[in-house]
Amino acid sequence: MSDVTKDYSKLPATSPLGAPLDWAWLRGAKSEWGVRPKPSPRGLTMLDIAVGSYGDVPEHPAHRSMAPRGADIEAGSPDMGYILNDKADVWADNTRELYEEAVARQWSATRDIPWGELQELDDDVEHAMCQLCTLLTEVEMIAADLPAKWMWRMNHEFIEAKMFLCTQMMDEARHAEVFRKRALANGGGLLLSRNGATSLLRTIIEAKSYTQATALMHLLGEGFVLDLFRMGELIAPSEVEKRIFRMCMQDEARHVAYGTMHIRYSVEHDPDVAEEIHEALDHGEMVLTEFGTAPDVSTALAVLLAGGVEDVESKGFPMSLEMSKKQFSSYLARCERAGISRLERTKLPLDLLGIDIETIRSAGRAA
Amino acid sequence: MRIDSIDLFSALAAEMNAHPDQFRPLGEADMDVVIVMTSKRADSFAVRLAFEGIRCEHVVEAEADAPCEYRLVGPLTAWQAMFDDIAEHGRATGLQTINSLALLGNDIALGGTDPMGLDKFSRFNQTLQEFFDGASAVLALEVAP
Repeated sequence: MSDVTKDYSKLPATSPLGAPLDWAWLRGAKSEWGVRPKPSPRGLTMLDIAVGSYGDVPEHPAHRSMAPRGADIEAGSPDMGYILNDKADVWADNTRELYEEAVARQWSATRDIPWGELQELDDDVEHAMCQLCTLLTEVEMIAADLPAKWMWRMNHEFIEAKMFLCTQMMDEARHAEVFRKRALANGGGLLLSRNGATSLLRTIIEAKSYTQATALMHLLGEGFVLDLFRMGELIAPSEVEKRIFRMCMQDEARHVAYGTMHIRYSVEHDPDVAEEIHEALDHGEMVLTEFGTAPDVSTALAVLLAGGVEDVESKGFPMSLEMSKKQFSSYLARCERAGISRLERTKLPLDLLGIDIETIRSAGRAA
Repeated sequence: MRIDSIDLFSALAAEMNAHPDQFRPLGEADMDVVIVMTSKRADSFAVRLAFEGIRCEHVVEAEADAPCEYRLVGPLTAWQAMFDDIAEHGRATGLQTINSLALLGNDIALGGTDPMGLDKFSRFNQTLQEFFDGASAVLALEVAP
């Protein structure tokens, strides 16, 4: 702690080489000098240090530099060219919690998967698993590319949101890694990549604004992939795949939690943004539905759900339809929670899917 | 030991809390869960589990509709089948993992009104699974001479 009685006025004004010296920092910063955040039982978390003005995230930051939020910032700081300068552009109220969770729950696709327990599978099941892994290897990195596209445009005052997105990029790198490894590890390999997947990914990466992009990626895309991972765990032929899908599921659910609460924060603080999000989801739902019903994706999933090609019609496709109903229900419930109800707007065939609208609505009331 | 008992869940919590080296690599998990076991012949049994960090800190008998982030509800027979599978194999296998059971929803259903609470089932699933898998040690201890 600085000693307010100590006199620094006699310190030299120039260095031994004659360069001017600045001792202003010796005065300490603001009135909170001496405030000590207390570590929680699990260590000193980002929530613990969000104290006083250090925890205040401005709605409209005054600076556009990389100066740390809470520091004394010299006048005339350079403009880094940020375009996401409103808190509502990027923030979610669970950002700090999710960052800590992400850091604590990192895992290794090399060490934490029991690769030695891989089992020889029937030819059709191995092909189906490899096809699913091919698809997942392809689509997972979009959730790294997209934050990378926008992060350098985010005002540095929103550092916690940027830190969380860094963890998301690491998560997605690991997902691409683990599915690529699984495709190759059991004697199969990477199979067919069709154009539909890339069309979906382009829709996401080309979104006009970050809020549209995050609605498409976190709420719609990752929400569906989260349920796909849950399905993957269900149909996993061995503990290897079960573990892969469970670990990926955990990561994906964090990303969805950020996206849901970010959209909510955005809509609450800037109601005009709702229409922009709806427009993105109108288009995104169509593209995702086309992608989900693509002949290769749907057949691979049906084979895995049926445990092989023999029961694909009697068991695989009916189960697949049931799973789709759950995916759409989860997505629509998250939209309610995010404050962006899709029930009156969506073109999804809710009746055909047998979706219980009242249950979905209750998700919005839970907020 | 009956599975519809506080004794079992207290023992599962003790098993988790005794193995920080197993749960630390999975990372902290904070969730408030209610497990409900229904029976045609008796009242439902419900227990509330509070996970904090790498521990299960609280195990208390609860009402089936007690507030929580998510609940897992199913007949006693379905829960018994899950614990039998864990006891036999040392961990849940095939369709007896908690995610598989809850996703199928035929026997054990995942419920809750808030999607943010429901998604914690996914966010901390490996932790929850390993908590249940602890039954292999708890139940083995019970039958040991």
